[in-house]
Amino acid sequence: MAVVATHQFAQCITCHVWSPDQTMVAFCPNNNEVHIYKLIQDKWERAHVLQKHDQLISAIDWSSRTNKIVTASHDRNSYVWNQEGAEWLPTLVILRLNRAALCVKWSSAENKFAVGSGAKTVCVCYYEKDNDWWVSKLIRKKHSSSVTSVAWHPDNILLATTSTDGKCRIFSTFIKGVDTRDSGTSIPDSKFGEQIVQLDLSSTWAFGVKWSPSGNTLAYTGQSSMVYFVDDIGPSPVAQSVAFRDLPLRDVLFISERMVVAVGYDCNPMVFTADERGIWSFVRFLDERKLAPSGSKYGSQFTEAFGKFYGQSKQMGSDTVDPTRARGGAHENCITCILPLRSEGVTVVKRFSTSGLDGRIVVWELDSD
Amino acid sequence: MANTLRLYLTCIRNTLDAAMCLQNFPCQEVERHDKPEVELKTCPELLLNPVIICRNEAEKCLIETSINSLRVSIKVRQADELEDILTKKFLRFLSMRAEAFQVLRRKPVQGYDISFLITNYHCEDMQKHKLIDFIVQFMEDIEKEISELKMSMSTRGRLVATEFLKQFV
Repeated sequence: MAVVATHQFAQCITCHVWSPDQTMVAFCPNNNEVHIYKLIQDKWERAHVLQKHDQLISAIDWSSRTNKIVTASHDRNSYVWNQEGAEWLPTLVILRLNRAALCVKWSSAENKFAVGSGAKTVCVCYYEKDNDWWVSKLIRKKHSSSVTSVAWHPDNILLATTSTDGKCRIFSTFIKGVDTRDSGTSIPDSKFGEQIVQLDLSSTWAFGVKWSPSGNTLAYTGQSSMVYFVDDIGPSPVAQSVAFRDLPLRDVLFISERMVVAVGYDCNPMVFTADERGIWSFVRFLDERKLAPSGSKYGSQFTEAFGKFYGQSKQMGSDTVDPTRARGGAHENCITCILPLRSEGVTVVKRFSTSGLDGRIVVWELDSD
Repeated sequence: MANTLRLYLTCIRNTLDAAMCLQNFPCQEVERHDKPEVELKTCPELLLNPVIICRNEAEKCLIETSINSLRVSIKVRQADELEDILTKKFLRFLSMRAEAFQVLRRKPVQGYDISFLITNYHCEDMQKHKLIDFIVQFMEDIEKEISELKMSMSTRGRLVATEFLKQFV
């Protein structure tokens, strides 16, 4: 598993997203603009700049079939961008929010999208032909803090959210006239905004919720360096909490039903896999750059004592960098976003990309073993 | 002595490393605002448990963390009245020039001598390990600086006293 390409696009990237054919990448350089870069003769060149928001853009999503970009921003607004000729034209979405929009995702059928907000609500937006605009329906009074992340189930009805109150919730978003009853949902006869499950696994903030490709497993992360896996969503879900010894994670990506890559403050993607019994565990870091032997980080007192014993100190002065954290990997600051790169007609994720606060977008490729 | 100081600083370094996992987070209370939650303290769910690292009664370090900001407050050892005055004057001198340090807070938290406020913007602009190095280096230097000041103070005092008493010889 290795880094295929590293692009230093900006000083700092808050989120990024690929065009359906992966010849273009859109990202927010930590301000109120979206930059779209295009691959022209092996060189990435800036093709478009989308300017309409007046505060930081917190999330972008690009629909693969309908080729629309949706952006959400701290200025409480959301725009849907349509490509007409060489231009990207914005349409304002009436979100009816009074706080920042924090995350946005197109549904699997791409006729709806969900926006999580700092107003402790989730907006589910759909296109109304008669009025020619995007309207939103709100899920209110269910979250007791900001909604940090949303994820759509493949059935286009179920929506999972994580919030800074530490809970992960699953809602039904059935909208009359948009969805049909026979769309094969596992929870029949649910009304809009009905809470299916509330998972109270994390004691602190939860982030980065994702469904597995089949929609059978749900994964999300907590600030207390935990990652949670939930099976059998419904009346009696089965949950697993996996703790690890490194810094917290921000986002996860299902490579397959049994493999997850997670990214976060350690600046190094982590691989989690499930064994035959479905028990998840941490396997390894993707970016092999840990030089110092493991254990010295936690044995500081011990090594200190040894240093004394041999008449020398292990750590000379404070300008020496913490030896357990080797620098110079693919990312040098927190990784905030991980996305799959799907090739045409292939269901298995072979490549994925990560972006972080160091302004890099890194493309990774999985070994074919 | 040097070794216990190193343990104290290592402990602070490791705690800061774990605590400095900040992200951009807009205010939940005020529209279109972005404030350090650790200063506001309006939403208890956005705060983490504060950590106090104590070397002894006189020397301690308080680390308060929230989702988008981190506050480090330090109490420096003051063995006698002279050290007390020197520390107060010296840290006040630094606090008055807080903009130059970026992460320095203008006023220390009550019960502490000097405070730093680190927000997610600092973590975006600067490298995290350098920020931690800066704080640990600062703590190390402040101790040295105070004892040096004390030394030069007593040297000067002795010199002045000798000069003064010469007229009586």
